[in-house]
Amino acid sequence: MLKRKFTPSHVKVLDSPPMLILCIVLVVCLYIGCFAGLISNKVMRYLVQIFLYVTMGEMWNLLSGYAGMTSLGQQLYIGLAGYSVAMATSPLFGLPLFSALLIGAGISVVVSLFMSLILFRLEGMYFSIATLVAAEAFCMLFFAWKFVGQGAGLTIRINPYPKLQEICILSLTICVVALALVYGLLRTRVGLGLTAMRDDITSAASVGVNIFSHKLLVYVIAAFFTALAGGIFFVNKGTIYPDSGFDISWTISMVFIAIIGGTGTVSGPVIGAIIYVFLNEKLADYPGWSNIILGTITILVILFLPNGIMGTLQKKLRFEIFSSKRFSFRLKKNAGGK
Amino acid sequence: MSEPLLRIDDLSVGYGDFIAVDGASLQVDEGQIVSLIGLNGAGKTTLTSAVTGLLKPTSGKVYFGAEDITGMNTDKIVSKGLSLIPQGGRCFNRMSVQDNLLMGSFPRSARKEAKETLGHVYELFPVLKEKMRDPAGSLSGGQRQMVAIGRALMARPKCLIFDEISLGLSPAVIKDIYNRIQSINERDKTAIILIEQDTRRALKMSDSFFVMLKGKIVLSGKSAEVDAETLKEAYFGI
Repeated sequence: MLKRKFTPSHVKVLDSPPMLILCIVLVVCLYIGCFAGLISNKVMRYLVQIFLYVTMGEMWNLLSGYAGMTSLGQQLYIGLAGYSVAMATSPLFGLPLFSALLIGAGISVVVSLFMSLILFRLEGMYFSIATLVAAEAFCMLFFAWKFVGQGAGLTIRINPYPKLQEICILSLTICVVALALVYGLLRTRVGLGLTAMRDDITSAASVGVNIFSHKLLVYVIAAFFTALAGGIFFVNKGTIYPDSGFDISWTISMVFIAIIGGTGTVSGPVIGAIIYVFLNEKLADYPGWSNIILGTITILVILFLPNGIMGTLQKKLRFEIFSSKRFSFRLKKNAGGK
Repeated sequence: MSEPLLRIDDLSVGYGDFIAVDGASLQVDEGQIVSLIGLNGAGKTTLTSAVTGLLKPTSGKVYFGAEDITGMNTDKIVSKGLSLIPQGGRCFNRMSVQDNLLMGSFPRSARKEAKETLGHVYELFPVLKEKMRDPAGSLSGGQRQMVAIGRALMARPKCLIFDEISLGLSPAVIKDIYNRIQSINERDKTAIILIEQDTRRALKMSDSFFVMLKGKIVLSGKSAEVDAETLKEAYFGI
């Protein structure tokens, strides 16, 4: 009986009110900081990147870590969003930034629905390759398309150009909504189905999880939020051309963030994104080396911390921030008297 | 005679050009135990995968009760009361035993009674109650098999398909599990299909049997009346 004290299922779950309040306070502080201009531009630039990478990393984590769809083509939706923003805000259409972002996300959702018809016929590695090829195909399409400036791309001319402060608030909002959505989704029946799919897809089907609809939902949500984040990235950059929009390094950074932080944990990509942005900044002085160093870190993490930083910490210290597990804990409470 | 619970009518399934199941027909009555035996690669697993919607059949029909369930999605089929326990006791390894079992009541139809059914399952497999909070991946092969059975029971099936339940388990554990299967059949009148290579054990337990060879059903009949020589010929195709 004594032995059971040490079984891994006895973990503290930090999603009780104090943890939730801490998160809310943190978010409110960030909002106040942004609104009141308490944060310097330099820090704000970092923050924007972190918020956007958290969003994208979280979405990739949802796709790969939960639904088992290791997409290597998420840059497709970033590119689409970037181009949509560039076109919609151009003098030709003259839409405000917010509608332009929504249009980009909307187009991405439509494209992702269409792509799912083709991509969902494939599984595992074949799915990954197909997503990559699809993104490359879109890249080629934009290279050849005169309307979007072919290889030279477009300059983003929003009038008036949003201030860094506005971009920061917008990114923070997207990030918070994305995190809340992922957490909420994982706590529903859909999340339970996803967790089951992650562990064993055949068993999941045999207990009655509709694999296709679960995959589709996750894929479309990921496309939507990846597009929102991607769109803002390009507002920040000012220009877009096919090679930058549909660059695989977008997905590589998401993979890095999710793996470093810990796939299959909600909090992992947050840590991963902070580390990534920090490293990216530090390594900017060594352009040739940066990828080698990032790659080495990824390999080391996979070898020594296969659950990622958060995953390993949670396992070692037996806690879980915002666990998506539902049943054991709920029933544990009921059985609390024992 | 009343309608059989499960009727498979001239079902064929293929992978590309390869035909794994070639016009197989069989039926299972309510509360019956049926064994489907055959060599490796005879098409047993393919047949059940097609019946439960994991694979799409190329031709033929599957009826569950009076309803045509051919090519239906697995989640629909499960909620109608036909469950499969996949080969090798596949559990959700990172979930706790209890979560695994509750996962079995995923179909809306089964959720209301989840708590009650969970009690039945723990009654049937007391060892699972002891380990309910452990991750399923930490259990032994036999216990994992029990989790898989319990999980399937949680959906309150009318018919359960066991795909090579004895694979990789020791004789003592197999005997134990077979006893539980018997009691599932007796208590809830659940029809059971046993897919087996262990012919003797399967025949001893079942009411009727079907022998499969190279994608075809080559012999069928009442388990008690079978003659060893005929069976051997059909089984090995000699």
